[in-house]
Amino acid sequence: MSADGSTAGAVDRRVRLFVFGRAAEIGTVPTLDEIASALGEPSDAVTASLQHLAAGRVIVLAPGTTDIWMANPFSAVPTDFRIEARGRSYFGNCVWDGLGVLALLDADGVLRTHCPDCGEPLELAVRGRRLVEATGEIHFAVPAARWWEDIGFT
Amino acid sequence: MLLFRSEEHVARWCAQRGLARGATLTPAQGWELARAWYADKLSPDWRRKTPAEAEAVFRSIGLEGAFWSLRP
Repeated sequence: MSADGSTAGAVDRRVRLFVFGRAAEIGTVPTLDEIASALGEPSDAVTASLQHLAAGRVIVLAPGTTDIWMANPFSAVPTDFRIEARGRSYFGNCVWDGLGVLALLDADGVLRTHCPDCGEPLELAVRGRRLVEATGEIHFAVPAARWWEDIGFT
Repeated sequence: MLLFRSEEHVARWCAQRGLARGATLTPAQGWELARAWYADKLSPDWRRKTPAEAEAVFRSIGLEGAFWSLRP
């Protein structure tokens, strides 16, 4: 039973833990069918949970669907923020999330991206929980209070 | 949140798009922010940070001012 005492809350918690745990384990954000199968829950219950989690800004669904787009820091779709760690590849949603994947995994690894201005490849590397290759500047275009107005752009 | 080669590249990219320059962090600040934000994401007890908690994280790595405020 969840903290709020509801069955729906308990399912939401199981879905959350599975989505993030699976993404960390294999580098891929699970689909609705994979979640339902793994948890032994009906698809409509998982759909409802995904919608609850999206409403709570725990995940982001692709517009008009029940497909997970972002389980921050993980991206369900390929992006220009590729992380190599634990012998796997992951995608982050932005440079913050790319570093966030390494923080979440508590693993050494490399974040690879490109300068949006000139296209030059850039890397940030973490070893022993320390950033060891650290060139460049991270730019936040949108003030914090407006991040969720258009999270895709943010 | 994008990674640029330098401030010069940030300025040019913003100008070409008619965007106001936002805020910049060093990669070291970005790493501290990532650790503070995501290190506990797999915890069964994880929950979203409140606005006050999030602002405290920002302040802890030197991110202060209106840009980092979550208050309306």
